[in-house]
Amino acid sequence: MDWNNPFIHSLLVIVAITIAFLTIMLLVAATVLAERRVLALIQGRLGPNRVGYGGVLQPFADFIKTMMKEDLVPDQSTRFVFLLAPMIAVVTAIMAIIVYPFGPTITIPFLNWTFPLVIARFDVALLYVLGVTSVGVYGIALAGWSSNNKYSLMGGLRSSAQMISYELALGLSLIGVILICGTLDIYNIVEQQSGWYGMQWNIIYQPLGFILYLIAAIAETNRVPFDLPEAETELVAGFHTEYSSIKFLLFFNAEYINMITVSMLATTLFWGGWNVPFAESLFGRGTFLFALISVLGFFVKILAFLFLYIWLRGTLPRFRFDQLMDFGWKFLMPAAILNIILTATFVFFTTP
Amino acid sequence: MTTILFIIFAGLAIGCAIAMVSQSNPLYSAISLIGVFIALASLYVTLAAPFIAAVQVIVYAGAIMVLVIFVIMLLNVEHSEPRRKRLKFLVPLAIGMAAILIAETAFILYSVQTSENRLPGNISDVGLTHSIGEGLFTGYLLPFEVTSVLLLMAIVGAMSLARRTTQLSATARVVPGAQVLAMDIVNPRAVGDLTAVETETTDEAAHLLGVDFQSDRDQEE
Repeated sequence: MDWNNPFIHSLLVIVAITIAFLTIMLLVAATVLAERRVLALIQGRLGPNRVGYGGVLQPFADFIKTMMKEDLVPDQSTRFVFLLAPMIAVVTAIMAIIVYPFGPTITIPFLNWTFPLVIARFDVALLYVLGVTSVGVYGIALAGWSSNNKYSLMGGLRSSAQMISYELALGLSLIGVILICGTLDIYNIVEQQSGWYGMQWNIIYQPLGFILYLIAAIAETNRVPFDLPEAETELVAGFHTEYSSIKFLLFFNAEYINMITVSMLATTLFWGGWNVPFAESLFGRGTFLFALISVLGFFVKILAFLFLYIWLRGTLPRFRFDQLMDFGWKFLMPAAILNIILTATFVFFTTP
Repeated sequence: MTTILFIIFAGLAIGCAIAMVSQSNPLYSAISLIGVFIALASLYVTLAAPFIAAVQVIVYAGAIMVLVIFVIMLLNVEHSEPRRKRLKFLVPLAIGMAAILIAETAFILYSVQTSENRLPGNISDVGLTHSIGEGLFTGYLLPFEVTSVLLLMAIVGAMSLARRTTQLSATARVVPGAQVLAMDIVNPRAVGDLTAVETETTDEAAHLLGVDFQSDRDQEE
């Protein structure tokens, strides 16, 4: 299999994208159901458990119900932007998954073909993720404006202001990881965390960076405790008030896919990605079992982060908007800069 | 392959640029400009400068244009008015100057292609992150630091221009009777100071607040 032939390469990339897309969609459906069940159990009740065994088919039932709803478009001249906004939101959300390595390099013996389990591997992968997150702000700002509704506009602008403020803290908290690993390529960052029998994760070197990244990421995805712009008691439903049926589903999906991509980034940068402790010494490097255990380990870590998201939603009250902006600019950004200074000092004195 | 990619992305950039200039709704112009930036970033990738492409998207399309869109949305800028009569001479003038520009560009391209000097065909690593970082922090350190001071000046200038210069807004209503004001209303620099400032009449309170009460009373009579 000639990997360098552009047509074969493109075909294989399209197959890989399809597999990853289907996986992420299933994971989104599972997250929707898990959120409702886990929130219910935190609140002392059972969640939806009637549809299918234990409620497993509930997200699909929700999908069918929402598809049947009436599709409203406000009667203004901004129809194009109204239709464009959820598309931008969901496309930028799902564009970010192509740089995350799902597993190590595997070799298929009878085809004699070696390839890394990542869709696209290039050397500015981390900046690509930040760029895609920056463009995702447009989906929300344009949605709020094109609904022709003062409350949606306020919700959209507040949400955009929150997102661009916390993007700064997000980017700065990732610089610590870049300083330690010396590369922007996410595949190399995960490869470098495979020392000490697969336990040399970056969380050991960057605990403060991880906490800052997690807080900034929760604010980026507009989740509780940072979800004032879309809280139901505040601005009706924020920027997606006027959206119904499929367009609302696109926003909903975009939020959950954002959660998943943020969890993937936290896992790959701080918690070792696909590195499972002692997997290499038990199974050997190039075998199929090692790759399987690594991919399963990756998904277990993502599920742990998603559980953390849902847990926070069930436990914490939400910030007021001025508290939110104060926290982002006056605490997170200086703390991230402090993290950079400490990490730079550490790297300077320990490299020969 | 590179030619096909160049045609696609350059065509996208030119199409979005024409859309930006010819749209009447300013928000559509801003969205077209974002399309131009993303097309330019793709062109940078084909020129082996991935760092510049990513930074173009993050900074230009992701931060600067967000602020431009905020301004358009908050100011509720409407469609631009049709061109006035006395400026109609600009259209043939623009076409003439565009023709001159195209002629000059064609001449430059022709003379470059027929010259004997050949550019080295190898891919250098000038555009990689490593090289840019090295150059930025060793050879170009002074422009780097001076640019950050320049941005700081811009921020401070914008903040000082947009600051409220009066102590209180002129539409504050003062209720008749003895007024008890907190110190941080009278003097906004004493933030959080809640000691009471007592005034006997509304005139005195209005004077302390800096509100012009006389014109209201004249209107009532």
